[in-house]
Amino acid sequence: MQVSLSWLSTHLDLSSYTVPQLSDLLTFAGVEVEGIEERGVTTDKVVVAQIDSFVQHPNADKLSVCQVNDGSGTARQIVCGAKNFKAGDKVPLALPGAVLPGGFTIKEGKLRDVASLGMMCSGKELGLGDDHSGLLIMAADSPIGTPFNQLNPADVLFDLEITPNRPDLLSHLGLARELSALTGIPLKGQRDYTATKTKTDSSDIKLEAKDACPLYTARLIKGVKVGPSPEWLRRRLESIGLRPINSIVDITNYVMMEMGQSLHCFDLDKLNGSIVVRQATDGEKFLALDSQTYTLQTDDLVIADQKRAVAIAGVMGGEETGVTEVTTNVLLEAAWFTPSNIRRTSRRLGLSSDSSYRFERGIDPQQVQGASELATRLILEIAGGTADDVLLVAGETPVLTSEITLDDDRARKLLGTADLSSDEIRSILTKLGLTLENGRWTVPSYRADLQRPVDLIEEIARVIGLDRVPSKMTAVAVPSDATDRAYDFAMTIRQALVNRGCFEAQTLRLVAEAQLADTLGGGTGVAVKNPLSEDHTTLRPSIIPGLIATAALNIRQGADRLRFFELGRVFLKLPNGGSREEERLAILISGPVSPSSWHARTPQPADINELMGIIQNLPGLSRVSIEPKAVKESPANFLLTSELRAGNRNLGWIAQLHPSRARDISARHPVYVAELLLSALRQGSTGPAKFEELPRFPGMTRDVAMEVPADLPHAKVAAFFATQKEPLFIASEVFDVFTDPTGQKIPSDRKSIAWTLTYRSPEKTLETAEVDAAHQRILAALEKALPATVRR
Amino acid sequence: MLTQLDSLKTEALAALAAAQDETTLEAVRVNFLGKKGSVTALSQNMRDVPVDQKKEVGAKLNDVRTAITDSIESKKLALQAALDAKAVEGIDITLPGRPGTGNGALHPLTQIRDVAIRTLRRLGFILAEGPEIETEFHCFDALNTPADHPARNEKDTFYLPDGRLLRTHTSSVQIRTMEAAKSLPIRIIAPGAAYRRDEIDATHLSVFNQLEGLYVSNDVSLADLKGTLEAFFREIFGPGTAVRFRPHFFPFTEPSFEIDVKLEAKGKDARWIEIAGCGMVDPAVFEAINKARGDTLFDPETTTGFAFGLGLDRLAMILHSITDIRHLIENDVRFLQQFAA
Repeated sequence: MQVSLSWLSTHLDLSSYTVPQLSDLLTFAGVEVEGIEERGVTTDKVVVAQIDSFVQHPNADKLSVCQVNDGSGTARQIVCGAKNFKAGDKVPLALPGAVLPGGFTIKEGKLRDVASLGMMCSGKELGLGDDHSGLLIMAADSPIGTPFNQLNPADVLFDLEITPNRPDLLSHLGLARELSALTGIPLKGQRDYTATKTKTDSSDIKLEAKDACPLYTARLIKGVKVGPSPEWLRRRLESIGLRPINSIVDITNYVMMEMGQSLHCFDLDKLNGSIVVRQATDGEKFLALDSQTYTLQTDDLVIADQKRAVAIAGVMGGEETGVTEVTTNVLLEAAWFTPSNIRRTSRRLGLSSDSSYRFERGIDPQQVQGASELATRLILEIAGGTADDVLLVAGETPVLTSEITLDDDRARKLLGTADLSSDEIRSILTKLGLTLENGRWTVPSYRADLQRPVDLIEEIARVIGLDRVPSKMTAVAVPSDATDRAYDFAMTIRQALVNRGCFEAQTLRLVAEAQLADTLGGGTGVAVKNPLSEDHTTLRPSIIPGLIATAALNIRQGADRLRFFELGRVFLKLPNGGSREEERLAILISGPVSPSSWHARTPQPADINELMGIIQNLPGLSRVSIEPKAVKESPANFLLTSELRAGNRNLGWIAQLHPSRARDISARHPVYVAELLLSALRQGSTGPAKFEELPRFPGMTRDVAMEVPADLPHAKVAAFFATQKEPLFIASEVFDVFTDPTGQKIPSDRKSIAWTLTYRSPEKTLETAEVDAAHQRILAALEKALPATVRR
Repeated sequence: MLTQLDSLKTEALAALAAAQDETTLEAVRVNFLGKKGSVTALSQNMRDVPVDQKKEVGAKLNDVRTAITDSIESKKLALQAALDAKAVEGIDITLPGRPGTGNGALHPLTQIRDVAIRTLRRLGFILAEGPEIETEFHCFDALNTPADHPARNEKDTFYLPDGRLLRTHTSSVQIRTMEAAKSLPIRIIAPGAAYRRDEIDATHLSVFNQLEGLYVSNDVSLADLKGTLEAFFREIFGPGTAVRFRPHFFPFTEPSFEIDVKLEAKGKDARWIEIAGCGMVDPAVFEAINKARGDTLFDPETTTGFAFGLGLDRLAMILHSITDIRHLIENDVRFLQQFAA
């Protein structure tokens, strides 16, 4: 909200505060100052001058040469480009040496060879509004020679963020009241806007929707002459960014910004009979002041005449019944509408106004009549006419506040301020307009946000500020839980991957539908009902789509070596319509196995075995044997898709990105991906490791080389060795795999593999002969079990 | 014989001095000290030496043997030293090291989150979590945010067709934790993602990262809140950092504050940067929890607590002077590399 310091100053004398002090004061009262703008001229070298005469500039069509009276007794010559003046007009004149807003200094000079001793100014040049269409023409009675800032003091505009719990601050009076409470500076006189007489049983207002509108008042004012507002009023509205429209509309806006009460004026002659406050009918059409037609429904509240709706209550008036230049009789509405109702309608219609903004936050019900009275007085003063001597009132003023009992000890305890005396508490709350009677606090009608003791404690905290509160530190021992352990495990995984040369990515959990084809591990994501764009429609069922997008971006930026991982949540839709959230780890690698260096400028590109190696070395998997199991149907965007199993446990999936998909992202090397379930990885790291006695006797090794069909998986051979019951045989390891696609050294459908087998006895040092015998038994079994030819 | 010995010694030492490898050394040893070596041969003549010279010749013999043995030993060491020196000749230690697989880097968000978590753990907080797909109850109702609150609409919040939503803040974890609590105190922090229907630009993401904190017990005061958060932010931004609390409004805390820290930017005056929101848990939240639980573990008359929340993305941007929040989700390796440890 825009707040004018000069407007505020009509309510209390703030001259003892500097602008930064005021800003701090507001900030620490909970009103955030989002901007400060100084307006108007502070220099007194801008004075009121009268244009005595002017002639066309001899050398320029668009310029005039004016003789002006600046009050000094000597005529002053000014060259001017504006056209909107006549002889005798009074205008602001900036004398040489004046510094205008924006730091522009006025000097004597010549314009097209004609001397000009100053500058006559537009409103904009003086930092007043945006009007740059011509000179600012001042009131005819403005005294010549008077500094302009005496008549139009410079102003400071505060752009304030008023929190939704403080609708009472949405007006200059409300803010003045708050500043008065905080500073102790008294308000300049309490204004009494009580209407003289009210008429409560009028047949002119029919209140059909009392829940949505507990109080409705109307004042009839006849014989007004609608025209432009006087300068002071226009200036006030313009200073806070409102556009003056006509005197009646301006007055209602002024009262809203002054008191926080939104008002509306109808052209009485355009109303068909008496006012009805009712719910809209379903599908009722309404042409609003903004020239838009809105379709209403039954929970919208309207102000209607006998024929049609004439306003969406509290939100916007109708175009057909609005006040125009030809209006002579008006009905001035002042009412209190139920906030939730206004909020619902405003939100549903996407129609928000200064009025709905205030009503939906809740205005002071006690000032409805006062605001009507102030507006009436201003209308009579500015637009003339005669007001009915009674205010028509339907319904009753709602009571929104109740008495509160505050236990001062509880306040001290919650605030942690043992030294806060009850006297001080009383003084704070009293300053804020509350009154204490029989131990109970009565809250002013404009502070409906204060309902409970804790609301009063908040007020105390706000006023004393946190500087008064001591800093206390209580560390309490709380036992860690599964979330803590999961976090620590995840950090270990992250660090391990970083040490392995991988970069941690964090991609958005909302992905595009088109990205779902990059999902590894199956599952459908969870679609959002109201996505913001096509790029972010679905909660990801897999991290891989994000990593592929990451790869694509980095490839576009020229990266050759891609090593990325991400730990994060995926979202899986369940058959019953629900969803499951799961923490996963995804890895993507492509390109050289190591960074290029003087040792190897272009190291060989990654293959899927490198990715397997990364996985096998992950924390939690060091003692786990991982078996990849090809899935029956590889998703279209992948090849080699395999489930990674550890016994019965699914650890995740591994795959090569399909070359066609890799070409899509212009990958220069094959791309490999894996996605792992963090919970499954964690199962592999259960508790502290148990020590096993070190072998006391040396072992012996025997190598075996064999030729097998090229498509015999390593796992089959490993499984054979793993299941041998030979007592001395304790370990086996593959150390060579050789194929020759050309078929020269070995047929292309065969491969040569070599293993080293270890033999050891826990009881003695082995004899060569017994090892050889055991080894031969294994080789014999091997040739029987597998299509292998052992080279002897 | 003494003369013979002297000349043998001279001869042997000369041969050793000339030797360039261990084989030659061994040959010299055999020639002089071996079974058939010349010194050994001469020593066999000891019995012919007159008694009165025996002592002198014996001493001389020993002396010659020792001299040759020592010389072989030291020559051996010298040869080995020369070999060792040769082995490192031409090695250029100024060349870059072998990269191995190189090092990657933790994402800056992970790093700042970890710093925050480690700091708060030292202050006795444990971790908690909750679902990101939430119910309106956990995200709004229980947090004293009524049905017609401005945040609760499809313009600002992502909804699912079944009426659930993507949590707009990690504060829903407060509710999850209190619902499941078996006893007090509760002292948790919950890092996590949150969602708001914001267009992605230089300062906004539709999915962002927060850190929530909650301490509930029977005697928690605003002083605890102040002390804890001051300590936290001084750990993050440095011990001298000025921290201020501005009154603010949140539906689920009362009183509520926003926290600013005073930070210096290069070449600019220090200024207050908004960094977090916090407050004392509103009794209405405890009432909602009790109602959901069906007990009175959180007695609004005696139970008090504080809660706080901060944006980790924003924190990372401030700490690292990152000017565009989109860097955090693009994962350009040139960006990530800058945060390598």
